[in-house]
Amino acid sequence: MANVTDLMIMREQALAAVQGAPDVAELEAVRVRWLGRSGLLTAALRSVAALPIEERRAFGAAANQVKADLELALDQGSARVRGAATLAQFASEQADLSLPPRRLRLGRLHPISRTIREVSRILATMGFETVEGPEVESDYYNFEALNIPRGHPARDKFNTLWVSDPLGDDPERPVLLRTHTSPMQIRVMESRRPPIRVCVPGRCYRFEATDATHESVFFQYEGLAIDEQLSMADLKGVLYSFARQLFGGERKVKFRPDYFPFTEPSAEIAFDCFVCNGGGRTNSGACRTCGGSGWIEAAGCGMVHPAALRRVGYDPERHQGFAFGGGIERLAMLLTGTPDIRLFQTNDLRFLETA
Amino acid sequence: MRVLIKVPLSWVREHVDVTATAAELAQALHMSGTEVARVEHVGDAWEQVWVGRIAALAPHPNADKLTLATVEYGAGRVKTVVTGATNLTVGAVVPYAASGARLRDGHAPAGGEPVWITLEPRKLRGVQSEGMVCSALELGLGADHDGILVLDPGLPVGAPLADVLGETILHLELQPNRPDCLGVRGIAGEVSALYRLPLRATALEPISFGTLDPSLLSVRIEDAAACPRFTAAYLEDVRIGPSPRWLQERLTAAGMRPIDIVVDVTNYVMLELGQPLHAYDATKLRGRMLVARRAQSGETLRTLDDAERTLDPGVLVIADAERPLGLAGILGGEDSEIVPTTTTVALEAASFEPRGIGTTAAALGLQSSSGSAAARRFAWSLSTALPPVALARAVGLLREHAGARLVGAIDVDPSGASERRAAVTLRFSDVLRVLGVAIPDAEITDALLRLGFTVLVSGERLTVTAPAIRTDIAIAEDVVEEVARIVGYDRIPTRSPSGTLPVHEAHPVEEFRERARDVLVECGLQEIVSASLIDPAWLALLTADGTPIAPSPLVVRNPTSTDRSVLRTTLRASILDAARRNLKHRPGVALFEIAPIYLPRHGQLPDERPMCAILLAGAAGPVIAGETYLGAGRAFDLHDIQGVLDALGRTLRISGQGEPEAGPGLHPGRSRAIRSDGRIVLLFGQLDPRVALRWDLPENTFLMEFDVRMVHADVGAGGAAVPPRFPEAYRDVACVVEDKILYGDLVREIRASQKSGLEQVALLDLYRGPQVGPGKKSFAVRLTFRSAEGTLTDADLDRALSRIAGRLRHALGAEIR
Ligand SMILES: [Zn+2]
Repeated sequence: MANVTDLMIMREQALAAVQGAPDVAELEAVRVRWLGRSGLLTAALRSVAALPIEERRAFGAAANQVKADLELALDQGSARVRGAATLAQFASEQADLSLPPRRLRLGRLHPISRTIREVSRILATMGFETVEGPEVESDYYNFEALNIPRGHPARDKFNTLWVSDPLGDDPERPVLLRTHTSPMQIRVMESRRPPIRVCVPGRCYRFEATDATHESVFFQYEGLAIDEQLSMADLKGVLYSFARQLFGGERKVKFRPDYFPFTEPSAEIAFDCFVCNGGGRTNSGACRTCGGSGWIEAAGCGMVHPAALRRVGYDPERHQGFAFGGGIERLAMLLTGTPDIRLFQTNDLRFLETA
Repeated sequence: MRVLIKVPLSWVREHVDVTATAAELAQALHMSGTEVARVEHVGDAWEQVWVGRIAALAPHPNADKLTLATVEYGAGRVKTVVTGATNLTVGAVVPYAASGARLRDGHAPAGGEPVWITLEPRKLRGVQSEGMVCSALELGLGADHDGILVLDPGLPVGAPLADVLGETILHLELQPNRPDCLGVRGIAGEVSALYRLPLRATALEPISFGTLDPSLLSVRIEDAAACPRFTAAYLEDVRIGPSPRWLQERLTAAGMRPIDIVVDVTNYVMLELGQPLHAYDATKLRGRMLVARRAQSGETLRTLDDAERTLDPGVLVIADAERPLGLAGILGGEDSEIVPTTTTVALEAASFEPRGIGTTAAALGLQSSSGSAAARRFAWSLSTALPPVALARAVGLLREHAGARLVGAIDVDPSGASERRAAVTLRFSDVLRVLGVAIPDAEITDALLRLGFTVLVSGERLTVTAPAIRTDIAIAEDVVEEVARIVGYDRIPTRSPSGTLPVHEAHPVEEFRERARDVLVECGLQEIVSASLIDPAWLALLTADGTPIAPSPLVVRNPTSTDRSVLRTTLRASILDAARRNLKHRPGVALFEIAPIYLPRHGQLPDERPMCAILLAGAAGPVIAGETYLGAGRAFDLHDIQGVLDALGRTLRISGQGEPEAGPGLHPGRSRAIRSDGRIVLLFGQLDPRVALRWDLPENTFLMEFDVRMVHADVGAGGAAVPPRFPEAYRDVACVVEDKILYGDLVREIRASQKSGLEQVALLDLYRGPQVGPGKKSFAVRLTFRSAEGTLTDADLDRALSRIAGRLRHALGAEIR
């Protein structure tokens, strides 16, 4: 005949047995011994009928509580021994993570495409719309309309590739491969009215022996803004913002006179080198990014020449503006640390996958 | 092309008394627009080299060909050196190098990189040589190693050689708008303006023109547009001989070779003032005249570069009464050349129209730095005020150094060029308008005065006249630039532009093209950018029989090389070439390029048509060669290129609709081309294996090409899908059909019989073999149905399936299993 005190002693014994069980089999043995059909706790519960009526209620409640406690302890014990088994199994499953991976095929844009997008994106923040124009151009747009008539000494600078059409040539209207993106200044001004803000990226061509910094086929970008109030100060502001966004950081500006037949005044703009910060030297010697000068020439620029404005029917008394331009490959070389311009057209994947 | 000139600093200092260092000067010139490519210091290396005097000469006791020279180089400093030179005399002033001096090795092979050595005391045939006397070559002063450099006897003996012979040379890169800077005097003018220093007046004795007896020499201009001004001097008693040493040194420093006094003086004046001159042996001028005229058909000329030239009619020549003497402003002729016996000289200083000179020089290949120095200068707008000044300067030098007697001079100026000096009128406010910064009026005026401009101020207006040699000043903006150059471009502030932002246009095709780039990158393809100029031979290698796949290309008349001589009319050759070269060092490639092709059009510029080319070849996995431990990896197959098309279809809604045909240059059974308006819009498939072989490409090379503009025009409408509300249900169907029936036929018929509710058709299996018999195949497809109205019942599916089965039996003769 058991009483509540016996139940409590049984509870302590049973819980201790659960705690001590090292594995699943021992836990099962504990369960059978206490909670099985002929288990000790089961027998105690059955004996409730023999108790006096007034004790039954309290004994029954206590017995059920002990059963619940024991079942909970068995569940926890089971989780404990299974967890230990899992950890033991994991411990035997060490992978060699230094093995080569299953490689994914990655696509990548060419650095020229990325640079053109970057230039267009930055200029778009200042209201410049990207437009494109023909690579095969007339002498008129490439030269004449830009104040470079035949025999003008500036033509020497643009070593021109001339084109012959299999369908026939007109000797009065020679056709060439544009030597710069500037013909689009004229085409855009002809087809639009101020205010104008456009950016023109594109392929250009020159008769040039290729070396580490020259290619006969290359890319340029061009900016053009025409309005009523624009001045050299606005030009400087746009290019300063351009350089800040492209190269990052506070940049020192070098703005000096230059010469282009289609701008007056003309200027060259340079920024202190973003690698050596203008010092011209890095830890490993002369700075390769700026060639040791401390400056990075970013663009040729100037105020659109009044003769060019007049040629497209604008009134220079009312409208004026600025233009600027530079090499896409040069920017791509700076931004990707590429030492040789020729790499951009080799299509060598060993270069392209890292550039 | 920029013109590179070498300007000895001492020559500049002769015209303006500037004390700034060469580095300061270079920086100031750079910041005001004159590019200084380099500052060269001649004599910087001359430590322990002195001005010495030969005190005594004695034969070497042990060697016939050697001499012992006693050199004194300052009070009490006497050394004996052993020399092999034969041009020494007692009293000669020579460079003496003491031991420790760094000299160029005179015995190193000529033409090679200079070898520099440090002088050490040594014994020559038993006699100690205490230093040495030097040749020009050993000092780095030129190529002359024939004898010891004999110096001007007036030099202070004992002075460091660098103090008396050292020179700083500015290498300037000039732009064609500044012909004034072609002369040292013009550079001095820039320095004068930058440093507020007066430009020294030249001690020029003017010559009086119109004093020449026409029986000695007359001048005629037949084409005043081509030759606006012609001045000439007639000189007698000229002694042809070497120029004075200082003049030779100046020419050498400026990069010209001394020849004789007359040629040297014309070159000297050209370097000093920028104006080229030409000297004739006056006795050889037939009819005693100089005529500026156009060449006539068939005329020939033997030029000073030893070439017999047939002159193009219309080319400007200087002729005498009978024949051309030279190409005006470009190159003289042999017939009237100065020779050692010449005593009577006709000296020409003329102005020529620059574009004519530029065009002619370019046509003759004489415009480059190795061509005609005169032509390079005349191609720029030299001032028409220069000829009389240059002529006077040259006459003065020839009188002084060649004993010349000026008999008379003539100035033919038919268009009054000498009088023409354009004034520019502008407002002070133009400076603010153009530069965006207010410069005080007084400072504007001051800047222009510093540049030698004359300035007339009337209230807000300025009337400005540039010095005659400044031919580039024509409009208000030119004057503003001058002000900016002098006050400094640094004064211009940095400002964000104000004003209305323009309305931007839409660029749907370009946006579509960029989206295609992104999609292809997302597909794991690498973008390439190839040269748009290609080898025309490539175009015949794109089909098995050489039939072109594209129209004849535009041809570059003056290509840099054959492999870049035509504008591509297809991207295919470029991408095959890129694949071929990359497959040499990797097992597979997946490439694309988006770029224009150039299609000739009658009577107008070509059609620049944006195209996209895609290529897959070799191993599909991105495995590095030899890494097979995860499995050998798959090779690209036809379904991969279909997959790229599918990706483009799903992302860009490219439809690919149209009557298909085989793609040119592709495997006829494994390719498809879709044509619209007679033009192929899109094609894809396996490269013709015979073409693949020709390009060293694997058989599994797959291509796709599409015309960006035309594909974009055909893009279908799209809309975002809303996730469905009701569940899907599927049924699998197996049907046996004739082998000629395509899967596409099957799908088309299934879809035709089930206009709505059929969500997807998936191909479970494709089987050919004994279970279906010969000439047949079995497609097992899973049909997924869904209704927008409610959950589908078995009865719904049974009805749908029986309709589909009926259609397949009827239309395709299918046996449903
Ligand atoms: Zn740097």
